[in-house]
Amino acid sequence: MNSPSFSLHRAAFLAAVVVGTLGLTAAGVPPVLDGVQVDAGGVATVSFEPSPAVTEYQVLRAPRLGAAFAQDSIGTVDGFAWKGSIGTAAAGFFQLRTVELSPAELTATTLLQRISYGPTPDELERVRGIGPEAFLAEQLAPELVNDAIDTTPPGPVWRKVTASGTGSAPKLYIYLDAAGETYLDDFRLVEGAVDDPGKPNLIQNAGFETALGTNWLVSTNLIASALSPDQVHGGSLALHLVSTAAGSSETTSIHQNLPATVVASKTYTLTYWYLAQPGQTAHLTVRLSGSGITSVPSLATGSDSPAPLFSKLTAGTAAINDLRRWHFLHAIQSRLQLTEILRQFWENHFVTQYSKTRDYFDNAGYDTATAGNISTWLEFQENQRWNQAMLRPDVTFLDLLRISAESPAMIIYLDTVGSKGNGSNIANENYGRELCELFTFGVDNGYDQQDIVQISRLWSGWSIELVASNNVANPFAGRTTNYLDPTVVTNRSALTNLLGSWAFNYKAANHNTGIKKVFFQHDAAGNPTTGKLVPARFGAPWAGRDYSLTYAAATGTNTVQEAYRLIEHMANQPFTEEFLSVKLCRLFVHDGFQIGYDFTDDVTSPEEDLVHACMLAWENPTNGGPQGQLRQVLQVIFNSDLFRSHGASQQKVKTPLEFVVSSLRALRAVRPDGSYTVFTDGDLSFALSRMGLMLLFDRMEPNGYPESAEGWISAGTLAERLRFVQGALMPAGMSGKSDGGANTVIDPSGLVQLKAPAAARDSGAIADYFLDLLFPAEGKANLAAYRAVAVHFLDTADDGTTASPFAALTPGSTDYDTRLRGLVAALMTTQRFQEQ
Amino acid sequence: MNIINRRSFLSHASTLGIGAALASLVDIPLVMKRVLAEGAIGQPGPNGRVKKLFFIFLRGANDGLNTVLPLGDSAYSATNRKSILIDSDPGQPFAAHGRALFPVSGPSTATYDYAYGLPLGNGFAGLHPALKFLAPIYNAGELAVLHRVGYPRQSRSHFDSQNYWENGTPNNNLIQDGLLYRAMVESGLANKLPLTGVSIGSSLPLILRGSKAAMTNLTDPTRYNLLAVPNTAAGNLKADAALAAADQARFVDKRDRNLLSLQYQNLASTLDIFAHLDFSEAGNTFVDDEATDGDQPYYLFPTTNEKNGGYIRAKDTQKYVVPTSAYGHFQNLKSAAMVLNKTSAIVAGVSIDGWDTHSKQGGATGAQANLLRRVGWSAYALQKYFKKYADQCRWEDLVVVTLSEFGRTSIENSDGGTDHAEASAMLVAGGGIKGFQADALGGVKRSAVFNCGGDADPIPWQVGPTGSMFQAQSRYLKRNTDYRSVLGKLIRDHLGATPDQLTRIIPGYANPAESLAARGIQTADKTEIIGEPDLI
Repeated sequence: MNSPSFSLHRAAFLAAVVVGTLGLTAAGVPPVLDGVQVDAGGVATVSFEPSPAVTEYQVLRAPRLGAAFAQDSIGTVDGFAWKGSIGTAAAGFFQLRTVELSPAELTATTLLQRISYGPTPDELERVRGIGPEAFLAEQLAPELVNDAIDTTPPGPVWRKVTASGTGSAPKLYIYLDAAGETYLDDFRLVEGAVDDPGKPNLIQNAGFETALGTNWLVSTNLIASALSPDQVHGGSLALHLVSTAAGSSETTSIHQNLPATVVASKTYTLTYWYLAQPGQTAHLTVRLSGSGITSVPSLATGSDSPAPLFSKLTAGTAAINDLRRWHFLHAIQSRLQLTEILRQFWENHFVTQYSKTRDYFDNAGYDTATAGNISTWLEFQENQRWNQAMLRPDVTFLDLLRISAESPAMIIYLDTVGSKGNGSNIANENYGRELCELFTFGVDNGYDQQDIVQISRLWSGWSIELVASNNVANPFAGRTTNYLDPTVVTNRSALTNLLGSWAFNYKAANHNTGIKKVFFQHDAAGNPTTGKLVPARFGAPWAGRDYSLTYAAATGTNTVQEAYRLIEHMANQPFTEEFLSVKLCRLFVHDGFQIGYDFTDDVTSPEEDLVHACMLAWENPTNGGPQGQLRQVLQVIFNSDLFRSHGASQQKVKTPLEFVVSSLRALRAVRPDGSYTVFTDGDLSFALSRMGLMLLFDRMEPNGYPESAEGWISAGTLAERLRFVQGALMPAGMSGKSDGGANTVIDPSGLVQLKAPAAARDSGAIADYFLDLLFPAEGKANLAAYRAVAVHFLDTADDGTTASPFAALTPGSTDYDTRLRGLVAALMTTQRFQEQ
Repeated sequence: MNIINRRSFLSHASTLGIGAALASLVDIPLVMKRVLAEGAIGQPGPNGRVKKLFFIFLRGANDGLNTVLPLGDSAYSATNRKSILIDSDPGQPFAAHGRALFPVSGPSTATYDYAYGLPLGNGFAGLHPALKFLAPIYNAGELAVLHRVGYPRQSRSHFDSQNYWENGTPNNNLIQDGLLYRAMVESGLANKLPLTGVSIGSSLPLILRGSKAAMTNLTDPTRYNLLAVPNTAAGNLKADAALAAADQARFVDKRDRNLLSLQYQNLASTLDIFAHLDFSEAGNTFVDDEATDGDQPYYLFPTTNEKNGGYIRAKDTQKYVVPTSAYGHFQNLKSAAMVLNKTSAIVAGVSIDGWDTHSKQGGATGAQANLLRRVGWSAYALQKYFKKYADQCRWEDLVVVTLSEFGRTSIENSDGGTDHAEASAMLVAGGGIKGFQADALGGVKRSAVFNCGGDADPIPWQVGPTGSMFQAQSRYLKRNTDYRSVLGKLIRDHLGATPDQLTRIIPGYANPAESLAARGIQTADKTEIIGEPDLI
């Protein structure tokens, strides 16, 4: 499927030039020839404009009209120009041809950039293999994919230790600093400051494939140790080290006598693998006797699994940072990438603010930590409900809107929680306004202030209550009477002694019981006259419809239905269809979509056409199911020319969340042992905060975080983006590392070993590998300048000036690793990596 | 330290199709043409210094009625404002004429121990007591207080209305560049000087955004340098050189690539400048030159408990001048002040969020009061900083102005809060503005309270249940000043725009139907406004 498309259709125009004239006219669509200049020596320079997704520019020449165009050897393409010696007397005609990414390749990379948080090395290979349509079908039907990352507990991780130092006495000791156990495998000790694979291993039975007792001698405190097939790094067995007491020297260790050639005057490098496990506390020591090489790694490992966080979240014991970490880990790891993109989209569309909820419960009488846990749980609950709804093939926008309206987080956030419309009380307008402006119709789109006043009355009485757990779906339930401690005598009914869940609760007594007329026109005195009509600009089938609603005066609990009836009505009005279609197009295509198109215009833009097509899919689903089915709308977007065109890729700037997640995904490949070339515990919120205060689940303003580039890009936020990737690429312990996540470790050398071992010592091949990984849709021919920067970087020493061929560095050495880390960081600080 | 040479970049940028052409309905001349440029924005005046502007955006819509209090209006009452009313002090009649009341607390009582409206001396209006540090500025003749500010067909959407305040074109969201951005472009200095318009905050606000010149936003100035692997001086130079080389690469023109290119260039050209300013906490040594509150001279920029008012002396939290949650704001304020004072920047600004007080707004204390304390002390701190620590900019060269997208309902809602409404209040401070003047007898020669009672109001404040507080849509405070008249006046008469430039910075400024320059009727909704207030 990787056969490139040879753009004959684009090559079918001529550029003619008579020698001696400057410039020439090029007709038609790109690619565009800028001009031809011929110097006094007869060297012609044909320059042209870059064109999207081009893998190769070809300049063809014909000596005269009527002669065949051909690539000849007198010139070569360098960047966006061709240079060749055509002689001073000759005239000629030039033609520019472009070889572009195939449509399948282009769509595959665009999909990876838009319906996922960017490609991983593995996903890039997989999607190129199965093709874009299979990938799209898979992502649009997440219910058919078993992605069990929330229920698979974190496993142990093999870690490699490399330590260099002097030889001292020829004995190697292994012990723990406490009782405990671990697995060890694949030791190497070689002469020199790097682990040179060409040098002999000075350790016997270094892979623990033959019995202990001969080369490896075991002290009493470690006597339970044995060879084991249970956890193995290489070969078929590893050392299962079991310590009953702390070790410190030869008599309390597993040890080996090394050849007498190991001497204190020489430098050696020790490498070995050990198994780190979550929850371990002991430290391992592996060292040479005396003052030689020493390594003391911790057996503990941070968890990169969302499973423990998921357990806390479902139990209601998680804090907001747990939820954020879980969200990050899902975005990075989940196979259901479109689901993750939409999870964030709906979370941000139906925005609520964690800290406002927390303040509410703080004021209600909980301590701050408990208030935080409750608020986190409420954020998690609505998020989970949306996600579960999104797993239904016929999920509609109304399903999601209803979940949002019923969410206690929303009821608190937009102040319906205390709103009263009864008697002389004035109902709080906050939710009514944002429901129209931000959640359904879009700003100034089909409603006015009178409608907001009417709607705010419909919503009066929507509050929350702490109810018994079997009553969370009953909006009329009273406060729970289950007690945490029933033996308490004084103030037994204090909130802090009540067992239950906070849930939507309808307080009919606070409801405005009057007649309500929503979406009506008004006379000069402000009295409602007739219903509002859908404006003419919508055209068929919508224009002219009366979309008013009238409510009779009513009392009692049934009045809860009034608000439900409103959102059922609003969810499928053309205004909602338009606004949500525009927002989804901004998310998946580009930022330049607006509400307010005149769909009856004779001349329309592709953007307007796409929004219109989305609205029709919303209004008239092809499967005969309910209106507003999201998958129907998404299909329209993903199959549109706008989404699939050559110009469509790489024309959106990443949000901070997308930037951070995509930068880690870009380098994250699975190793044969199940570990990854990127480890992160998901503690990355600080980076989003610095890149423009993108506090997940805690947006203060109800319009959600912007999708547009202008909202995020400025010198200050760019500086923070650049600092993040540099920090992330630093090895652990380097000053500045915490800017990229203290518990985020990237192994680009390991990635090269895994995916491009043949390129490992070739600066050009390394550059090509990473350019393809980081900018797969740009087209190789358009990346020539970046390639030159990359090759120069690799072939220059850390001082930035001295030539230092990359090929001379030994893979595995610190110098090699540093050079590679620096290169990857440099490529990820470029403008093009800001795009998706 | 990171030094990236400024690169020849504009030639590259101009080959990129200017993607936002559709959005730029306002015709802006090419920014490089200082030769042809008119006006005096950014040009040194007779004193050798450039006039500058500092804005503070109160995002979320500040309740103007509880900022500048119409104490003389019977409708400003406990009936309409049940839990949030600020009473007038029975012992300090608001009806008196003279100086604004400044209740000095001294060393032993709480900084904000005064719980009534502070009479402004015009016989009618008062300040919220959380704004008490505005009183000394007012009495020095360096503060103007404007009420009833809005614009025609007022939107009550935050996002619309913030857009309009920032893009300078009410009811038009298609204009996607900012009013102060356009002023900087008109100076002919944007893209020539490394810094013209600067904001300190989480992101660059619309008021400074535009597609033809990069304004600068700093999120955290103390972290404004890049890192590298290896993170050594040489390693940083190598990484920066690679980035600089990559920035020169040509690419296919695509949406947003012009923006990225401009802001990368802006990053490169500002790294070195900011590396030479000390934004650190240790560098925050700016202290008042007098014991204004009767205690001791306070730190101007409270960024820690120890620098927060009189706290340091007795560890008494009642002696804070601002809430502890305001430290981030004062970091930003200090940084923005330093940038204006120490660099070529002409405009700088910060935002204060959280004004959307739909519930539990509070009265003399509470949510809004805590925000107002930030505002009052910010104005005071800026005045003192630009007097005592002036370098490239002195207090007489500066105007500080607050912006907020609309006011809030005249009647409190059922949650102890207020909802979205129309006109609100604006504060304008600076050494060169036409402020309050006392007469020889201690009375008022000139009041600097605009549109809130007083004899000098061209359009008087109507009192009672059908008065000004209910004259917009029968529910809201009605405007009689357009925010564009205030900003236009400042941009022309302070910053130095020509009238022609002003019509490009604020489209329609000279249109008689808008009545922005002189008193008249705004035809869009047939409302009479005063035109430009006599501020400067």
